[in-house]
Amino acid sequence: MSNTETKPSDSLITTDVETGSNDRTAPSDRTAVAARDLNVFYGDEQAIDDVSMEIPEKRVTALIGPSGCGKSTFLRCINRMNDMIEVCRVEGDIEFGGKNVYDDDVDPVALRRKIGMVFQKPNPFPKSIRDNVAYGLKIQGFDGDVDERVEESLKGAALWDEVKDQLGSSGLDLSGGQQQRLCIARAIAPDPEVILMDEPTSALDPVAASKIEDLIDDLAEEYTVIIVTHNMQQAARISDRTAVFLTGGRLVEYDDTTKIFEDPEEQRVEDYITGKFG
Amino acid sequence: MATDTDTGRVEEFGEVSRVRGIAFEYLSLGASVLGIFALAVLLIYVTIDAFDLANANPLWLLTYFLTLVVPFLGFCLYSARDRTLTRRAVTVAGGGLVAVAVAFTLVETFVGQVPRLNWQLTYLFVVIIPLTGYLVYMGARGRPGSVGFGMVGRLIGGTAIGLAFSVLFLVFDERLWFLAYTLGIVPALLAYAYGRLRDTPAAVTAALPISILGMVLAVFVREVLRTYPTTAFIYLWTLAIPIAAAGAVVVNGRGSRTAALTAGGVPLALATAVGLFGRAAGLGVGGPNALLVIAVTGVPVAAYLHRVFDVGEGVSGLGLPVLLVAGALAGAFLVELFGIPTPSPWVSETFLTEAPSRTATEAGLYPAIVGSVIIIAMVAVLSFALGVATSVFLEEYTADTGVVGALTRLLQINIANLAAVPSVVYGLLGLGLFANLLGFGFGTAVTVSLTLSLLILPITIISAQEAIRSVPDDLRRGSDAMGATRWQTTKNVVLPEAFPGILTGTILALGRAIGETAPLIMVGAATTVFSPPSSLFSKFSAMPMQIYAWANFPQAEFRYGVVAAGVITLLIILIGMNGTAILLRNRAERGN
Ligand SMILES: Nc1ncnc2c1ncn2[C@@H]1O[C@H](COP(=O)(O)OP(=O)(O)OP(=O)(O)O)[C@@H](O)[C@H]1O
Ligand SMILES: [Mg+2]
Repeated sequence: MSNTETKPSDSLITTDVETGSNDRTAPSDRTAVAARDLNVFYGDEQAIDDVSMEIPEKRVTALIGPSGCGKSTFLRCINRMNDMIEVCRVEGDIEFGGKNVYDDDVDPVALRRKIGMVFQKPNPFPKSIRDNVAYGLKIQGFDGDVDERVEESLKGAALWDEVKDQLGSSGLDLSGGQQQRLCIARAIAPDPEVILMDEPTSALDPVAASKIEDLIDDLAEEYTVIIVTHNMQQAARISDRTAVFLTGGRLVEYDDTTKIFEDPEEQRVEDYITGKFG
Repeated sequence: MATDTDTGRVEEFGEVSRVRGIAFEYLSLGASVLGIFALAVLLIYVTIDAFDLANANPLWLLTYFLTLVVPFLGFCLYSARDRTLTRRAVTVAGGGLVAVAVAFTLVETFVGQVPRLNWQLTYLFVVIIPLTGYLVYMGARGRPGSVGFGMVGRLIGGTAIGLAFSVLFLVFDERLWFLAYTLGIVPALLAYAYGRLRDTPAAVTAALPISILGMVLAVFVREVLRTYPTTAFIYLWTLAIPIAAAGAVVVNGRGSRTAALTAGGVPLALATAVGLFGRAAGLGVGGPNALLVIAVTGVPVAAYLHRVFDVGEGVSGLGLPVLLVAGALAGAFLVELFGIPTPSPWVSETFLTEAPSRTATEAGLYPAIVGSVIIIAMVAVLSFALGVATSVFLEEYTADTGVVGALTRLLQINIANLAAVPSVVYGLLGLGLFANLLGFGFGTAVTVSLTLSLLILPITIISAQEAIRSVPDDLRRGSDAMGATRWQTTKNVVLPEAFPGILTGTILALGRAIGETAPLIMVGAATTVFSPPSSLFSKFSAMPMQIYAWANFPQAEFRYGVVAAGVITLLIILIGMNGTAILLRNRAERGN
């Protein structure tokens, strides 16, 4: 069984790396987010172990690794969503916009307004499509033309053509893939600088997933995208840089996606990518 | 046992558990049937007593059956438009008639006389009322039926709400309300609207302080100012005009401007005309209360009419109120024509509008109804506000761990226990705290309302907590990640989602509060008062208290007729209130 699974994925990855992610030249010159000596604990259990990495601006950075290795935890550190988990304790720095987001004078709520987030399970609010997209604008007291911004964001999330006649109907009436694009539209509507995505396509079928992949590619023109994924092909196709976490919350290798998938330094990384371990 | 073979064991276990399962199934079925049956028998007898049906002439029953019930059932069947349903309904009605008549005769001959029942009444209760309920349910699914019931509901509900408002103004000073509205609410709304239209956030934020300032000012002005417009004018300015405007806005949102002006303007004009000049023109109705009722009923009806005509489906359903009124009139006419003796029901106009009396025929429940309505309104507002605030705090604002977490859990356990404390204990608390210590007086509306609010507060809190907890965490995280503050998440995501559930809990708790007597006795509410309360601090009574008092009267008419009438009135008000709240909740569930 493992044999049959490994073979095709191997070949897929090589072809995909050749076609994908060539449009942008990596690495970028500017850093959007940087982690320095980051350690995260849930109670006594360590979930992130001394991670330092620099994430380039306006690029897609993929975080991959086996389940439980701390990818989601790392993502949540960036917009301080870990603050909501009472047992969670963070040491070290996350630099964003020239500031450590864990400094005392940083208001996490204000921080989150600059960083959008898309979750694994689509979670549109039980409100109309329009109100979903306008949510961030509403809570941030946006005083421009809301409808125009809603339209822009839905277009940016490649959803506009499908929903333009039913903006007033509930966001929950959409299909799973549409809901996820609605959540992306909601995340980009307040024009954040960084978009975090935690396995955004894992609940979707391949067609819906590939739509979102195309979308991520476009988003990287304007935003810094950091995406967690379990799908190697997806990481290879859409990302410019890839970070491989392994069990224990250690960052094992972080490099250009092409390098990671064609010629990784570490044997463990190669094993993980080709499915021999994980 | 240890020597049992494997197969033997399995068979034995299987047998035992199946017997138990079947026994349990039939036991629970029996228990629920017994409960429902006992309640049904009680309600049937109470209804018979309250409406004096035992003395109703069979011809009288037949007349109204033919003029009122049959056309109504026909309407339901017409709406459902289902051949099999029609066939079945006719079979049930006809077959039921024969079956009930035969069974009743058999019982009378072989078992003995059934008190205060005859086969016609039995047929009414056992066959026709359940059948009507079922056909209403089926008919409401058809378009004409849903339109018709919507129309009847708005007419009755609007009237009830209008009357409830006018009752509230018996104890709330309408002049103070006039000043608070004019000085506080109107300027605040203007500021808000200005801020919205001109994109001036400052004006929007100023709205709340302006309203508070205006209301405080109103209290002072009330002390100084001596001349006021008439009550009718106050109702017109503070209630009828805003309601008409709201109706016009709603209609404007889905129709033309002319339609909006008509839907708001016509009922307003009618209300004003009848309210101000009705009495003078010799109409028989008029005055401020008529104005209020017409406005509260007319505007929703007009908006509804507009929607029905707009959709253009099931317009024929609008004839339902006409059908019912015509049926009742025709019945009355026939009864008059043939000189059929009519029963004299205890639930009558006198009963609903007069004060209690020593003679049964003149006894009325009016002061107690007013008292109950006032308590219900105050308890609803108090317990809803307190319950929602507490549960939001407990669920959204406190930590789960650490010292705060431990304190929260302690509080939680205490609240759960408070729900089980007997109501007399709450009465004692009300007596000590509100009546004595805070000096709100014995048996005043304020003391009783506060006591009852405390009584149902634990239930409200627990059910509201349950509703808030059932809001998926995904939604909270989604909102938090957008950069919403805790309050914004609560207000925009959690509360709208939890609202139907919170409402359900409050409805159930309110039902309990209305029927309570023990705490009322404890805080010294009067069993009988002869005039409706004129302020929140005057002596007053509530329906259960009055019913309880009547039940101890020596005369049989009181114990059977008047008490039954009181129970029916209490039940109808309770069901009406719960029904309205459930409708609201369902709308919130569907709408969002
Ligand atoms: N809320 C929490 N409370 C306690 N421990 C947690 C919590 N969330 C995560 N952990 C622990 O932290 C470690 C890393 O979890 P994390 O969710 O970051 O992994 P992941 O890489 O995202 O895994 P997956 O691919 O399955 O989503 C795990 O060992 C997990 O048990
Ligand atoms: Mg994860």
